[in-house]
Amino acid sequence: MASIEMRDIVKTYGDHPVLHGVDLSIADGEFIVLVGPSGCGKSTLLRMIAGLESISSGTMSIDGREVNDLKPKDRDIAMVFQSYALYPHMTVADNMSYSLRLRRTAKEKIAAAVAAASAKLGLDPFLARRPKALSGGQRQRVAMGRAIVRQPKAFLFDEPLSNLDARLREQMRAEIKRMHAEFGATSVYVTHDQIEAMTLASRIVAMNAGAVQQIGAPLELYDRPANLFVAGFIGSPGMNMLDGTMVSDNGTSLVRLTNGTTIALGQAVDLPEGTSVTLGIRPEHVSIRPATGGVAAAVELVEPTGLGIILHLTVHGLPFKIFTSDRALLAPGTNLTVGFPAERLHLFGPDGRRIALDAPDGSGISSLTTS
Amino acid sequence: MTSSSTGSRPRKPFARRLADAAEPWLYTAPVLVLIVAVMLVPLVLGLSYAFRDIQLLNPFSGGFVGLDHFRELSQDTAFYRALRNTLWWTGASVFLQFFFGLILALLLDKPFAGRGLAQALVFLPWAVPTFLAGLNWAWMFNPVIGPLPHWMVSLGILSAPNNILADPQLAMWGPIIANVWWGIPFFAITLLAALQAIPRDLYEAAAIDGANPLQRFTSITLPFLAPTIAITVLLRTVWIANFADLIIVMTNGGPADRTQIVASYIFTQAFKRLDFGYASAIALVLLVLLLAYSMVIVVIRQRLIEKD
Repeated sequence: MASIEMRDIVKTYGDHPVLHGVDLSIADGEFIVLVGPSGCGKSTLLRMIAGLESISSGTMSIDGREVNDLKPKDRDIAMVFQSYALYPHMTVADNMSYSLRLRRTAKEKIAAAVAAASAKLGLDPFLARRPKALSGGQRQRVAMGRAIVRQPKAFLFDEPLSNLDARLREQMRAEIKRMHAEFGATSVYVTHDQIEAMTLASRIVAMNAGAVQQIGAPLELYDRPANLFVAGFIGSPGMNMLDGTMVSDNGTSLVRLTNGTTIALGQAVDLPEGTSVTLGIRPEHVSIRPATGGVAAAVELVEPTGLGIILHLTVHGLPFKIFTSDRALLAPGTNLTVGFPAERLHLFGPDGRRIALDAPDGSGISSLTTS
Repeated sequence: MTSSSTGSRPRKPFARRLADAAEPWLYTAPVLVLIVAVMLVPLVLGLSYAFRDIQLLNPFSGGFVGLDHFRELSQDTAFYRALRNTLWWTGASVFLQFFFGLILALLLDKPFAGRGLAQALVFLPWAVPTFLAGLNWAWMFNPVIGPLPHWMVSLGILSAPNNILADPQLAMWGPIIANVWWGIPFFAITLLAALQAIPRDLYEAAAIDGANPLQRFTSITLPFLAPTIAITVLLRTVWIANFADLIIVMTNGGPADRTQIVASYIFTQAFKRLDFGYASAIALVLLVLLLAYSMVIVVIRQRLIEKD
């Protein structure tokens, strides 16, 4: 087990920069998830930890030792690939023991390590099989087993569940979490799936366009996204984003949307009047038929998910999404009044960064007026 | 006991049963006729020559002689020498072509500047007509016009700048070298294609597992290449054993039959001595030998696949 330190890590391919100076400290035993859209540099960063990509500049150290120039095999890390990368000509047992055999570990020790890992992963009936005779989920387990038997300093996962179907993905996700709880191994996990990120991570590193956008506990990213990118990326269905300008009224601030609607923030915000801002609210936080205030909205589309309902609606011409578990709303064409609770609003400045709103004064639902 | 009703099933009329049985044959008839006409008829005709006395210069020849040609062949020391030469020629050519082809494929598999151009150049010999390649190499081995004998003397390989094609001990190396030069691209192309089909992830996984380049080669590259190696070596062996062009052009089997292989011996018998009957008999023996060889390889390959 080990800590991993990254200082100003830069990666360029020729003149093309892919990572612009990443700083990240991973504590011993942490489960870090690198999340972001395709091409954000998350896999490149992971491969740089593994030693499969060279580091253009900056320093990477594992357990206090700089590893910039160390070969993958000397870094003592294990990696689980998206394609599993099992050796097709070896049996499951041979796949798992390959690294130990290369290290000339004693035969009894190898047998014990393989037996322990296979028992843990339920692979005992498959030890003599070749990978091609296994299902996707079983292959995934073998890939994990291959990582476990080494007892490495850190585990790296490169989108390990992407090739599995939804049900299996859910199951393996829980299994990875259980394994981490049991071994407490330092893990770095790359995914573009925000559910995986939310459920697995001790801390999430949200990345976009080669730069870290926010680092924090899953709920911190969900509750207080640092910028528009994180706000839009974390959460499903995605956060509603409304462009508007700041206006103030009697010492409290409001946002005037492009359609003229004003939404009260319930407090004074230190921004000059007329500043263009973006207001965000998650679909599950929009209140339906609020006791006071509220604005009329037309339901245009209803998407039942089983767990709840996603309503697509428009408020004075602005498209909007609501997530609710109220099945009475299933019929399309209904008209609703909706409210935007001030304590659930996110405010982003013209540069896209979050503007902190103080804890609201308890008014609950902001008043909403149309000019 | 339950009584069976099969015995009492009404039988269809004979004509109907015949039509049913003939139906699939009628559908396949066009293809069968084509195969028989273009493949089997010439083959059988050619084989029949082996049992007849056919000499172009003898107007009274053409009669059936039974196994006479084979009796003659079993006493023919030139044939046994040609058989040994064939083994030597085929073995050395296939091994060296494969060996250098593999090295070339491994080199071309790594990305480097100008790889596209290098690949195109490497595959060039394959496009050269064998007749031209043979002439070219024969000239290069000729000390009067070619540089190779002089270079070999400078390197200490030869004691004097002689033509190795005229040296009974060394003559076979001439066609073998030309053949290796000409045949490397075949192995390089096929092995490179197989190499590029190996998932890169596997090498990365092995690098993380701690395998050095040699271990990665033996535990990933070789197992992936094995089926391609088996099939290409099999094909090349049969081709090269039958491949007399270079020898005919470069040495014509000489000096003193030292480079005569079975295929070139057949050519000499048929087109120099114009004894088509005897040449066909030799060809039949070569056919049987190569068929036996192919069978052995196919069986071995099947065993290996079943073991997998």
